[in-house]
Amino acid sequence: MTPQLHGAGIGLRARHYRDFLDTTPPVPWVEVHSENYFGEGGYDLHVLEHVRQNHALSLHGVGLALGSAASTDDDARIERHLAKLKRLVSRFEPALVSEHLCWGAHRGRHFNDLLPLPHTEEALAHMNARVQRVQDALGRRILIENVSSYVAFRASDMSEGEFLSELVRRSGCGILLDVNNLYVNQINQVNHGGDALAAMAAMAALPRASVAEIHLAGHLVTDDALIDDHGAAVAPAVWCLYDAALALFGPVPTLIEWDTDVPELGVLLGEAASAAARMEAEHV
Amino acid sequence: MSELAAIQSGFAAALASGGKAATGMAGAVPLFRGEPARIKRCLAIYRGNSSANAHKALAAIYPITATITGVEFFEGLARAYALRHPSASGDLNEYGDTFGDFLAAFEPAQALPYLADVARMEWLAQRAHYAADHAAFDGSRLAAIAADDLTHLRLWLHPACALLQSDWPLARIWQVHQHDFAGEFSVDLDAGPSTVLVLRPQLRVVVEALAAGESAFLNALAGGNTLGAALTAATAADPGFMPDAALQRWVAQRVIIDFTLA
Repeated sequence: MTPQLHGAGIGLRARHYRDFLDTTPPVPWVEVHSENYFGEGGYDLHVLEHVRQNHALSLHGVGLALGSAASTDDDARIERHLAKLKRLVSRFEPALVSEHLCWGAHRGRHFNDLLPLPHTEEALAHMNARVQRVQDALGRRILIENVSSYVAFRASDMSEGEFLSELVRRSGCGILLDVNNLYVNQINQVNHGGDALAAMAAMAALPRASVAEIHLAGHLVTDDALIDDHGAAVAPAVWCLYDAALALFGPVPTLIEWDTDVPELGVLLGEAASAAARMEAEHV
Repeated sequence: MSELAAIQSGFAAALASGGKAATGMAGAVPLFRGEPARIKRCLAIYRGNSSANAHKALAAIYPITATITGVEFFEGLARAYALRHPSASGDLNEYGDTFGDFLAAFEPAQALPYLADVARMEWLAQRAHYAADHAAFDGSRLAAIAADDLTHLRLWLHPACALLQSDWPLARIWQVHQHDFAGEFSVDLDAGPSTVLVLRPQLRVVVEALAAGESAFLNALAGGNTLGAALTAATAADPGFMPDAALQRWVAQRVIIDFTLA
């Protein structure tokens, strides 16, 4: 297994492959989207083999769409995806493996997006079964990340924080806390009962180390909603929420994500340094 | 249907594009709290994200096709393709496998008759990019083969290798669209039919034109024939075929990576 994660890491994207092949960027760990390494061989896996010699590694899935309603077809889809993930996890033995609290496939079609789930007992039981299936197949705990949302379901009768916390209790999974998504959802007013701080308070009641990773990213402001496009620097209000998260959960390994208009590596390293400085300030 | 399945079914209908878009959107509104007009605008964000993700994936796999058509026409092609062949996998690198065949039959693309084959070539390059790695050919093992048995060998092609026959000069089209191409940007569309070989000598995918004897030889190998049968096919196609030079080059390029005795 690669070393455990400490401090602030960055999402490794193809734009920065050259930097990581030619130099050893001063960042303790990186996270990649698992699906980009589902091939049997070739350049991407070659780069990842190289990077993990000097950096701890986290695998972050974006395609399992675990909350998609069960059917014979959808169960088979999950198994096909899971087989590739298992191969990747066995090869790289990453420090962490994570996925999202979302759905995304319907009757054979995959929307390739992180669509929000209604926070109901039925959705919770279904997510629990799917998370347990993944954990059984991989033989390890996974983290589940809260997603951003632009709509509020009438059917929801739990808050996001309650839903995710109960998923942790039932499945034994951990939480990947995306602070930007909490903020986006608070402003979009999609959460049934409770703002970002209330969601974190619900998670703080869980056993220690349940929140095992934090994501930070930028968002886009539009007239109708904040959109988590991962295309900007972390917003001041999100940094404030991050400080609150550090006070509640301790110096949790934190990732800077940037997926739209990815800037040069130095910008990401600067954001990671800001996160690391806040981590230290909180725990002197 | 369970409540979760019903909610997702309604949500999915709101993400549909084309003729069913408006009804799907209207039908989904009651699933959500808030003002209907705003709900529709927010659902439109999801619809846009989903189609943009599929479009971006297609543009990444088919950069030459997109350069030839121009950005706007390619967007239209991506939309039309997604309507008939939506993504079925959470791995977008698998999306678009039938794009070339789609273009061959898509009326608005007929003004560019070579476009379908360019796309087919780019799909083979996409497969080659993710194909399994393989060690180079171990020539020392040949010493154990009796001279009489050589023609009975089966030579194995690298998993990244693929052959494509076309009426269009695909290798030249590939070459002039590479980032580091420095020559004159010209393609002779009347150059006549050719076969190209997609290969991955190291980590980067390469496309090369094959002469008649070369393509007959590699096609025979790809079809599981012996070295002897491949040589016969190659000399029939081109009496001047030089097997020694070709084999040396293909071993060096990791086109031929192993052998078994039939």
